[in-house]
Amino acid sequence: MTDAAQTFDSARSRAPTAWQSDAMAKRTRARYRKERRFRFMGLAALVLAAGFLAFLLFTIISDGWRGFQRAEIAVDVTFAEAELLSDGSDLSRADYRSLLNRDAEEQFGTSRVISEGAWPQLRDRLAAEPELLGQTERIWVVASPFIDLLAKGQVDFDLPPERQLVDEEIISDYRALVAEDRVRIAFNSGFLSRADSTSSEQAGVWGALVGSVLTILVTLAISFPIGVMTAIYLEEYAPKNRITDIIEVSINNLAAVPSIIFGLLGLAVFLNFFGMPRSAPIVGGLTLALMTLPVIVIASRVSIQSVPPSIKDAAYGIGASRLQVVTHHVLPVALPGILTGTIIGISRALGETAPLLLIGMRAFVSDVPEGVTEPATVLPVQIFLWSDEVGRGFIEKTSAAIMVLLAVLLSMNAFAIYLRNKFERRW
Amino acid sequence: MTGEAPNTVVHEDIALKTDAKMTARDVSVFYGSNQAVKNISIDVDSNYVTAFIGPSGCGKSTFLRCFNRMNDTIDVARVTGDIDLDGEDIYKSSMDVVQLRARVGMVFQKPNPFPKSIYENIAYGPRIHGLSDNKTDLDKIVETSLRRAGLWEEVKDRLDEGGTALSGGQQQRLCIARAIAVDPEVILMDEPCSALDPIATAKIEELIDDLQGRYAIVIVTHNMQQAARVSQRTAFFHLGHLVEYGPTEEIFTNPRADRTRDYITGRFG
Repeated sequence: MTDAAQTFDSARSRAPTAWQSDAMAKRTRARYRKERRFRFMGLAALVLAAGFLAFLLFTIISDGWRGFQRAEIAVDVTFAEAELLSDGSDLSRADYRSLLNRDAEEQFGTSRVISEGAWPQLRDRLAAEPELLGQTERIWVVASPFIDLLAKGQVDFDLPPERQLVDEEIISDYRALVAEDRVRIAFNSGFLSRADSTSSEQAGVWGALVGSVLTILVTLAISFPIGVMTAIYLEEYAPKNRITDIIEVSINNLAAVPSIIFGLLGLAVFLNFFGMPRSAPIVGGLTLALMTLPVIVIASRVSIQSVPPSIKDAAYGIGASRLQVVTHHVLPVALPGILTGTIIGISRALGETAPLLLIGMRAFVSDVPEGVTEPATVLPVQIFLWSDEVGRGFIEKTSAAIMVLLAVLLSMNAFAIYLRNKFERRW
Repeated sequence: MTGEAPNTVVHEDIALKTDAKMTARDVSVFYGSNQAVKNISIDVDSNYVTAFIGPSGCGKSTFLRCFNRMNDTIDVARVTGDIDLDGEDIYKSSMDVVQLRARVGMVFQKPNPFPKSIYENIAYGPRIHGLSDNKTDLDKIVETSLRRAGLWEEVKDRLDEGGTALSGGQQQRLCIARAIAVDPEVILMDEPCSALDPIATAKIEELIDDLQGRYAIVIVTHNMQQAARVSQRTAFFHLGHLVEYGPTEEIFTNPRADRTRDYITGRFG
């Protein structure tokens, strides 16, 4: 008789297992209790995480929604032809600033209630409706930062004067305006169409958004082809030896290098060695491409590895060349994964601040960049800069810019999911 | 059973000759330092189905993959010895592997259609080898290949559906049709029925019978009854050695080597 058979026999000779005993019932109850506890802990973790996320979103949105609004003041502007054309220039270069200030002083006794940057509104209005020349028209112009705060209810009127945020005089100006029904809250179209400004009511994110897009395009154009080609070479062509092992470890390590170090590299190589323009999207894009490259290589390699070897065998088996196997069979199946990985890498680059500070993208840029070599800033750096500003009005701008950045990131992730579903195949 | 190298028993009436479709002489395959196939010489004749049988790990599949150089895709594999196709050494450096694999087709253990339509599965090979001039021509190749694989009647109305939506047996016949489409001279089959149920297996076996004579066929199988049913030549492998090679009938009724007899009668394996 074999050992196994003996063991089996001795097991049979024991008393039958008492499945109905108290000890067994107790064990069953304890097991149920453990299951319940474990499930509860999982649920608690989920609720906690969701709570943090909700809190974050709530704080940002509750501050930020005011950034999309602005206070406007109604001024009756007289477009006096003689005055506008006094120095012989044309209407596009006339002195609208003094015109607006004079009208405001006449009507409110002061021009400090309107924004210093409000006068181009008159020029644009007149350009759109030339028949207004010589007429008087009520125009809603952007209010000054303090009126903006008052109109949005950001000021507690009951505070004693020495702790009050806004001067007594401005408060009385504001009360007078309200009495005449000359203040309103309107959609801040300038926030989405203008670049940075020193005064909060004139500052917009459009410049930073364009800068971000230009930078990301450079990053994508460099890192996607190089990353995917590297992954294909390593997976399909490179021999598996010590050298490729070292390369693989290096790529994995690069993906973990803090981003600020890539900024130093960009500073040393692109600015100091190649002499490229400071603060430009081309340099920012190249720097971020260095940072994104390892992420794309790793994601692409994982995706290529997951292509079933049976499909490659089938293709080789009917005489497909290596290039044909890669382009006809491996890439189509691996593409969803490659694209998802790329977009995750690009999203990370889009939210990156530190390396861009080092290559000068923190400069104050009040123009919307028109090319990759012009000075620009990007959304996260803009958020960083505004969060540093002393002006009260920049608080809501900071949160509003965060909302814009989050919206861009969310739409990129949605695009990644769309791509994955579109290209995903069954086999 | 002992592991020492036996002398290969080759039956007189198929003694090694030089005018066979494919000839292997003194072929060994190494995976790193492990020798999986040990000095095997064998002929593959155009007119017959040749079966490779033997227990798991005896090197029969590895040896089969030498005939179209599929071992090239494995980094650590190294092949020594000579394999000729029509008297031409397939391992010489001027040999084009792409063309070789078109001439020596392969069907794999697990059905592996491409994740494309049925039509595209068949048309892919002719397309990459430039075998058709126009769409009508290609349609003709697809139809002929599917007819030869006995699949045409079942799929003719849904050629644009995914090849992976077919049943396992249909998928395997699709793979055979795909191999036929590039007009090969030899078809290698690596346990083509091991993932199929008995009914699908019977269909594949019927198909192999139909194809016999048109192509030189080499089939690796675990299933001795299958070898007996479909083949005219059988080679028995054990531990990397070729033990015995002869007409199928003789191998199964009157084996000359002890190991072959033990395996056939179920003493091991």
